[in-house]
Amino acid sequence: MRQVRAIAVNTFKETIRDRVLAVIVVFALVMIAGGLWLGSISLGEQGRMMKDFGLAAVTGFGLIVAVFIAAGLVHKEVEKRTVFVLFSKPVSRGAFIGGKFLGLCATMAVVLAGMGLFLFALVGVLDGRASHMVLVATAMIYVQLLTVMAVTIFFSTLGSAILASVLGICVFVAGQLSQNVLSLTRLGKNPLTEALSWVVYVIIPNLAAVDVKAGVVGEQTLAWGQIGLWAAYLLAYMVVVLALAALVFRRKEF
Amino acid sequence: MHSSVILYEVPSSPRDTPQHEASRPAVLVCGLHKTVRVGFRARRVEILRGVDFEVRRGDVFGLLGPNGAGKTTSVKVILGLMRPTRGSVSIGVESLADVGYLPENPYFYDYLSGREFLGFCAHLFALDADVRRERVEGLLRDVGLVQAGDLHLRKYSKGMLQRIGIAQALVNDPELVLLDEPMTGLDPVGRVEVKRIIESLRERGKTVLFNSHILSDVHELCSRIAIMREGRVIWTGSVDEALAEAETLEDFFIRVVQA
Repeated sequence: MRQVRAIAVNTFKETIRDRVLAVIVVFALVMIAGGLWLGSISLGEQGRMMKDFGLAAVTGFGLIVAVFIAAGLVHKEVEKRTVFVLFSKPVSRGAFIGGKFLGLCATMAVVLAGMGLFLFALVGVLDGRASHMVLVATAMIYVQLLTVMAVTIFFSTLGSAILASVLGICVFVAGQLSQNVLSLTRLGKNPLTEALSWVVYVIIPNLAAVDVKAGVVGEQTLAWGQIGLWAAYLLAYMVVVLALAALVFRRKEF
Repeated sequence: MHSSVILYEVPSSPRDTPQHEASRPAVLVCGLHKTVRVGFRARRVEILRGVDFEVRRGDVFGLLGPNGAGKTTSVKVILGLMRPTRGSVSIGVESLADVGYLPENPYFYDYLSGREFLGFCAHLFALDADVRRERVEGLLRDVGLVQAGDLHLRKYSKGMLQRIGIAQALVNDPELVLLDEPMTGLDPVGRVEVKRIIESLRERGKTVLFNSHILSDVHELCSRIAIMREGRVIWTGSVDEALAEAETLEDFFIRVVQA
């Protein structure tokens, strides 16, 4: 546990001190503020537009940060040969993967908290009242992105950082669509396509299940019990994927 | 009394003879083979072709050889960074918690300061906070980096990186220290400092195994040496034995390697 904590703290320092991250966050804040302009040209829907656009920007920029940092973290350690220092000490491959993930979780928490609070403040100014649902939606985006990060770290133990980034983004997109694809194929009543989409549905994390953006802008009533269960499922999914990543990484030689 | 850990035991070599715990050397490498696959067609390349040597407790042992002889690979296998294809390695300490390692041409986390980096390394061992602090400050002093302790590693020169690398290898006060080219990139003052550190390790009864091309340092520091060529140990013995056969260690090394 001591090693996991040390690696997590080190990973947090590494990512938070990265100037690229600061640039992405500043750009994201500017984009979120751009929602003010979009709101001004939408008749009477300023607050709704701001929430909609702002949460989409939080998701998009959060995804960029999550995927690109997660894909590079393990690779950088191998390429720059800092793994020699770590694995010549009593550090297991599992502790390394766990520490990297937890450090990145902390970084993402800071990044999303910054973007979420900024959006919350803008929506508060526009609506004249606090919209706590914006913060809840940001927390749910956080759960989605943690899942994508875990998957990206897993892919980064198998192949290159670029491949891991691309696959991470693919899993994010597929995770938004897998439920809909399953429902559509069920309508077709073709057993083969239904079975295939069921396999995809089981393998790909169902990220859409914890997406509450539609509820925040008032388009959908949210079933919190179900959302909680799906969030627990995603947490279990992350544990399994990280355990697989540790297994793959154990086979590696340096 | 130390217990020991057998890192690998791939019992294919007739030299894998069990030894009594107490008489087990600091490092025992028997019949080590390592084959890797390279290139698109996964061509098999034999890096180690039967490496045998023994490092006794308290020895300063030099592993010598021309470039590509397999010195670094041997050290990596001893540490578990690579798995042997065949052969066995055992180290006479409790676990990796009693081992220190300096890699060749080390690169460390350049976003950390020297002090932060040593603190991070100390955190990886079961050390109390007071011991950690004391160890970090002591090592910074020993390697002459107290003034530069708060500078980020990206601002360190090659010699400073080498010195912080030696400090991180000693942060757990290890019984067995493996140093891969510890003198590389050091100016004469840095080399004297590193030699002093190795001497003080020897005085404290620690076992040191180091790879080096600088034979004058090997002559000064080592009690025993092994010379490798093309993945094999071709000569092993004491420095005195080597010097009985040639005027200088350099002459002896060249004669053995070119034989």
